[in-house]
Amino acid sequence: MKNAIRALDKILRGDATRLPLLQQGTFDIPAGGLLGLIVVLSMVYGACMGLSAVITRWSDPTRNMGFQQLGASVVKVPALFLLTLIITFPSLYVFNALIGSRLTVGAMLRLLVAAMSVMLALLSSFGPIVAFFAASTTSYPFMVLLNVIVFAIAGAMGLAFLLQTLHRLTIAQLWPPTVAAVPEPFVEDESTVPAATPPPLPSGALDHLQDRPPAANVKLIFRIWIIVFGLVGAQMSWVLRPFIGNPSAPFTFFRGRGSNFFEGVMGTLEHLFSASSR
Amino acid sequence: MISALRFVDRILRAPLPGAALDTPRAVPHILLLSLLLTIFYGAVMGCYGGISGNRILQPLYSGLKVPLMLLITFALSLPSFYVLNLLLGLGEDFGDTLRALLSTQAVLSIVLASLSPFTVLWYASFTDHDSATLFNAAMFGIATISAQWRLRRYYKPLIARNPRHRWMLRLWLLIYAFVAIQMGWVLRPFLGHPDLPVSFFRPDSWGNAYVYVAEMIGHELKR
Repeated sequence: MKNAIRALDKILRGDATRLPLLQQGTFDIPAGGLLGLIVVLSMVYGACMGLSAVITRWSDPTRNMGFQQLGASVVKVPALFLLTLIITFPSLYVFNALIGSRLTVGAMLRLLVAAMSVMLALLSSFGPIVAFFAASTTSYPFMVLLNVIVFAIAGAMGLAFLLQTLHRLTIAQLWPPTVAAVPEPFVEDESTVPAATPPPLPSGALDHLQDRPPAANVKLIFRIWIIVFGLVGAQMSWVLRPFIGNPSAPFTFFRGRGSNFFEGVMGTLEHLFSASSR
Repeated sequence: MISALRFVDRILRAPLPGAALDTPRAVPHILLLSLLLTIFYGAVMGCYGGISGNRILQPLYSGLKVPLMLLITFALSLPSFYVLNLLLGLGEDFGDTLRALLSTQAVLSIVLASLSPFTVLWYASFTDHDSATLFNAAMFGIATISAQWRLRRYYKPLIARNPRHRWMLRLWLLIYAFVAIQMGWVLRPFLGHPDLPVSFFRPDSWGNAYVYVAEMIGHELKR
């Protein structure tokens, strides 16, 4: 677990995806450990989400349903991410190979797991705020929209990480390390840097490499990908709903089939602005 | 007492958060100071309905609620801000960032406490509940603006190091305000309406400030 947390920290700081490191062929993250961490973090977030059902049903005869919903949310959020991973992985691999990338299946999987861990780190860091609103809000539409926004932020950041890393991996394979690309020893003491030259900006995991914009084929892969991943993730969340639990309906583990995520969000938005949402 | 005042003076005059926080145990001191000063302002705030009989409870409640509001908001907003800082490659500066944010909290509570005599004068002069609420909102507004002004100054060296800090500063204000507004809404009443019995929470306050506003907008649009 400690290893996985350290790996996640390195990924977030961008230390795991520095170009010189990738050029030596070491995109080496403990995928198994990270996957475990992803499950734990998504369970934490699921608990924050499901809290709202417990609170709204607290003084109700149906209090048990609140706890059932909490349990269901704790199981469903990890399921959402793992199922999305399973569904999207084959097509990502196939398209990626078609377009001529030389990434292996293992590297591809590690890349996806890393992007997903970025998503969940961000998602679970919003957990306290979501839990606070869940505890103090009785409005169901508000909670739905807040969660949609938080998921969208986390998803966008995770996909931005995916693009940058995909791009760096491609560069690393096209330009194998030369003598000049060997990383210089990192200067720890800032005072030894002469004042005339400003120290280079620290580059994060999401930063463009300044001299090399993303190649056309990487952009193409990514465009296909952001659509596939976003659609599948959103619809998967619709299939697995309810995550929060409508306080005016009895608890069910799943709801019937029909409709889709985007229609649902639009309906919720309308509901929020109508006075009957209490 | 004298050393506490000297500490306050150092915080107010320090051009950089580090200068006020270089002594050992400065972080617990700064937290304790913010806590005491916000308890003080909260207690003054709760004196609106008088302090005779049962009414004495309101200053006690408000004295608990104001620090709760500020500290819990700070604690809830910090994790996501930290992760976003890491992701944008600003992880190495986070020590300085945290010092700046903590010092800003201290400045906020110092300004708030220094405004409390005005609140007392207002309560002594006027009895209207709504205007008292507005007056307190104005005091919180002044304290927030001064704190934000100070935070900008703390952020200057950070922005000079990496311009991206400017966006993070705005983001912090956004997250903090989003949580703080709801926190203030949930923790009502702070003043205590003179016609109502004293209570820690208002029975109907368990709701959402944003939903309230959205419903009002929807209501207006329907007319």
